[in-house]
Order: sequence, then C-alpha cells, then structure tokens
Amino acid sequence: MTATLEERPAASPETGGKPMIDRAEGWRRRAPLLPALIFTIIVTQIPFILTLWYSLQSWNLVRPGSQEFVGFANYLDVFADSQFRQVALNTVIMTLGSVLIAVVLGLLLALLLNRPFFGRGIVRTLLITPFLITPVAAALLWKTVLLDPTLGLINFVLTPFGGSGTEWISNYPLASVMAALIWQWTPFMMLLLLAGLQSMPTDQLEAARVDGASAWSTFRELTLPHLRRFIELGVVLGTIYLVNIFDQVYMMTQGGPGVASANLPFYIYQRAFLGFDIGQSAAMGVVVVILTLIAANFALRLIFKSFSGEQEAA
Amino acid sequence: MAEVVFDKASRIYTPGAKPAVDGLDLTVADGDLVVLVGPSGSGKSTALRMLAGLEPIDAGSVRIDGRDVVDVPSKDRDIAMVFQNYALYPSKTVAENMAFPLKMRGMDKEERAQRVRQAADMLGLTEYLDRKPKALSGGQRQRVAMGRAIVREPQVFLMDEPLSNLDAKMRVQTRAQIAEMQNRLAVSTVYVTHDQVEAMTMGDKVAVLADGKLQQYATPPELYDRPINAFVAGFIGSPAMNLLDLPRSSSGVTLGGVEIPLPRDISDAAGSRDKLTVGIRPEDWVLESNDADASSVIKAVVDVVEELGSESYLYAHLAEDTGTTIVVRGPGRVGVRFGDPIAVRPNPEALHVFDAETGQRLP
Repeated sequence: MTATLEERPAASPETGGKPMIDRAEGWRRRAPLLPALIFTIIVTQIPFILTLWYSLQSWNLVRPGSQEFVGFANYLDVFADSQFRQVALNTVIMTLGSVLIAVVLGLLLALLLNRPFFGRGIVRTLLITPFLITPVAAALLWKTVLLDPTLGLINFVLTPFGGSGTEWISNYPLASVMAALIWQWTPFMMLLLLAGLQSMPTDQLEAARVDGASAWSTFRELTLPHLRRFIELGVVLGTIYLVNIFDQVYMMTQGGPGVASANLPFYIYQRAFLGFDIGQSAAMGVVVVILTLIAANFALRLIFKSFSGEQEAA
Repeated sequence: MAEVVFDKASRIYTPGAKPAVDGLDLTVADGDLVVLVGPSGSGKSTALRMLAGLEPIDAGSVRIDGRDVVDVPSKDRDIAMVFQNYALYPSKTVAENMAFPLKMRGMDKEERAQRVRQAADMLGLTEYLDRKPKALSGGQRQRVAMGRAIVREPQVFLMDEPLSNLDAKMRVQTRAQIAEMQNRLAVSTVYVTHDQVEAMTMGDKVAVLADGKLQQYATPPELYDRPINAFVAGFIGSPAMNLLDLPRSSSGVTLGGVEIPLPRDISDAAGSRDKLTVGIRPEDWVLESNDADASSVIKAVVDVVEELGSESYLYAHLAEDTGTTIVVRGPGRVGVRFGDPIAVRPNPEALHVFDAETGQRLP
C-alpha cells in the first residue's frame, strides 16, 4: 500500500515528459514539508521506539530499581497469557460485530431516508444525533438511563412483558458495550450509505424499471453493487476507530466482570496504569501494533482498490 | 409491433402551472420511426417518458397496440428504452447488461445467452461481451444500450437523444445504423432529439413540439416544404429560414424598398392584414448581378461568408435597412468577401407566408 502511494508522485513528472529535477531542486521542493514530517516522526516514532525498548525490559513501577533487560521474555508471557487471548478475541468480536451490525442498520435507515416523506429533514437530524454525542456521555447514558436494572428505561419498557430486573451490564457485559457502540456508529454508516444512495444515477434506476426489474432485484442487482465501495469504506473507517475504543469500556464495565468485556486498549491500560507493569504492557502494545498493521494493510488495500475507479460511471 | 397513440395526453408537474406536455395528439403507425423534435423545454422528453411509464399521465391517455397504459407500470408496457447517457449497469459485463431485461422476465439461461449472442452479432459487440461498460468507447456503449433494447423484442422502442454523447463522425454513422436496424426489425420507434438534422434524416414522420404543444406532425419533406407556422418554419432547416416581418404593399410585400409580389392564393388569404411574416429559405434567394435594376433586386452587404465546399452561405444585412439580416445560399466558390455588396431576389414560387400575429401559415 505504502509503495503504491509513494510511487505515484515520483512517477508522474517523468511520465508527463517533464525534465528530471536535480537533487537541490528536489530538496527545495521538499523543504516546506520537512517541519511537519519531523514533528510527526518525533511524536509517533520516538515513543514507538521507546516502547520497543521497554518491551524488552522487566520493569514494574511499584518496585523501584527492578528494571533489567530480559530479551523476549515479555513476549512469551504475553502469548502465554490466556487473558490476553480472551481480550484479543473480545476486541475482534466487539469491533467487527459492532461495525457489521451498524452497517446493516445504517443501510436500512439510509434506504428509508432516501425516499421522500413529510418531515424527512427533522428525522434525518434526529437520527444523526447519536454520532454527535461525546462517547463518554453516551456510555453514561446507556449505563444509567437505559440499562440500569432498577431505574433503566429498558427494564421499564419490558416490565409489562414480564421481563424486569435484568442486570444487563452484569449479565451481558460485552453485548451491552456493543449496543452502545452500535447506537453511536449506526448514524455514521447511515450518512455514508445515504450519500452513496444519492449518488446512484437515476437513469440506471429508470432503465431497470423499464427493463422489468422488481424493487428487490433493483436493490440486489444495481444498488448493492453501487454501494459496495461505500460499505467497504464504512467498514474500514468504523473498524479503524472502534478497534481503539476505550470510553465505553471504561465507563460502562471497566472491562469486567473479569476481562469479559475488556478490549485490547483497555487491557493494556489496566496492565500499565493499574498493574504498573511497563514491560508487559509495552510488549502487548507492540503485538497489537503489528497485528493492526497487518489488518489495516489488507483493509486499506481493499478500499484503495475499489475507490481507484474500478467501476467508475459508465 | 404495435401502434402507439397519444390521445390528448398531458403532464402537469404543478397544478395550475403550464403543462409540460399539453394535450398531445399523436399516432405512431405500426413499424414507423417517429421523431419528436423541439427546443429544450418543449416537452419532447417528457412525452417519451410518459410513454415509458417514467412520468405519470395526468390527463388524456396513451395507448400501445390499442391498450390504454395510463395505469400500467413500465415493466408491463412491453417497451424498451435507450437513454441519453445509455444507463448501462456499471457492475455488469456487456453480456449481463444485455441479458438483464431477459433475466428479469425469468427467461432461462440458455435462451438468454442465445439472444444476447444474436444481438451482439448484429451490433458487432461479440468480442466485447465480457467487458465492463467502463472499458468501452462511447460508440460501443451506445451499441450495448441498443442491444439491451433489441434483445427484448419489444413492441415499441423508445430512444431519448441516443446520439447526443457521440462525436460528430460517430453520430452520423450510428444514425444510419439505427435507421437501418429499425427498418429491418420493423418495430415502432419513438425517437427524441433536439437536432433537426437527425429528425429529418431518420424519421418516417416528425412531430415538432414547442412549449409542450404539438406544432406539426408530418413527413420530413412536408415539414420542409409546407411548415404550418412560423415556429416550425424557423426550426426545420439549417441554416434557418429567413423570417421577415414585412409591410403589405399593393400587390405583395415590401422588403428593402423593393416590392415582392405574392401569388394570388396567398394574397387572397392574407386579406386586409397590413403586415405579414414572410419566410424565404436560404436556397430560395437568387443571386443577381450587382448592376441589375435597383427596383427589382434587393441590395445587401455581406457580413460573413461560410464556404462549405459544395455550397456557401452568405450572412448579409440589407443596404436600405441595416437592422434586417438575411442568409443566402450561393455556389461553392461564390467569390464574395466580407463587406462586398450583393444583389438578391427571392424566388416568388418558394415564399412561405405567415400571419404576423399568430404565426399561422397563409393560406
């Protein structure tokens, strides 16, 4: 991915038939970008290198003077840690589950909003609001107003149907966190897919009508292929954001009970700032970065492929 | 194959406002190619979309093969449409695009493939069947759109400016192909264009629309020779007919100080009107020698000369009345330049005379 991105600017002056620029000119053109580049390196790469260094140390903050070089021992511990594996699995379920459900719900809402009806503007605004709420506030809202066993609205609504007193957050911690995430991210998916729907050329839909396609065939044969890249974009962006989510886990469950609802960022936070085990948490961080890089590489390749005009308008 | 009838069909977008299509009466005979032509906003596309079922018919009716289709959805009208931008399905290959209407009708795979092959053969698309529309040129896309219409073997073809996105050479070529294919398939066709050359060359009959109203519905020669009003007279023909508002004189009208006699039937029909709109086609001027008697020729000064090789067009203003401009067709090597004086005389046999108020033809 990085290779293709870097090649393009370098290749275009040559293919454009312009004369080659000499080194001095090259540096002069690059110079205005350097401060930003240096700043970015300082704030991202130096901490990362330090983390790599810490991950090779045994270092617990509550035992001063304990710092010593242990090689890859921390990494072995990380892979032997069943909690870490559990948390990694939680992260995958939480991220992909929330994103996929949000995409499906967002698609349904977008399809409804794409047809004219009275008060559409207001409905659209109301549907977007969850996305505009601060994650911490949203988490608090779900924890207390909605899911609280005695005071929560959900149990209140369910009372007539015989379901009351369910301890949602204690009994279904991962699902509860995911519900809050889905609630917040559905509007994002909805907006993205609504934009996709509105960019659908009307003459194709009309052609389909004349060609005898039913509403369902039109959706399956034309609308869904058209939306494919919007769906891919939504999934990739949602995944990138949700894999790092912290607020909801921290506010609603503190990762508990046990690590039942913890994800990787929260678990690493716990190990670093509640367990004070710098070496272990640094090693976990490195593992996560590597795994994320691999996943992100695939995801971004997919999305660049579908947006590089593979099926641009005919 | 079917007859298409518009029976006082109207499309009213906003109640109370002027209808986009106003009481259209039109019969397309079985197997004919009828062209709807008119300027932007004339309602020609709307009329086509009403026939396609993409616009509701607010008043009157539209019949295909004797069946009233006002409440019939598009897919049940047995029509096929070619869109201006082709409206190909970008995620499907050429073969899938062409097979789509058949698939939607539930035709089995074998027969679909066979029909697509046949149509592709006819249109020279066989080698492109596996390509996506994106990988085709404009002309090829246009043919795929045609193919998608042909495979259905519909009762009526509808074409909405199908050539407007092609370059000039391609357009002339495809124009002939469409006309030839329509003749061969003998399927009634309604063809919308704003290009009067397309209308004149392709149509068995041509309907000229303006402001949502049908102006004239006739064969191309009839439209050219006997335009029913000043609008049609000015719209059909390129360069356009010279339309001049002229005062009456004792035996005719006066132009640039010269009296132009009118034939008896026209002057009878003109009655006591003291002003007439006189139409003279560029080819109906006779170029005279500049020394000719000033009382029988009209003197003018050339502004622009367009030499087309086999003929030339002179844009000139009258010497007597500089506000009046005329277009005169001359021979290929006319030998005049900007600023030269010319002398012209209209052919009295070929005058078109219209009422100056209503624009209606006289007689």
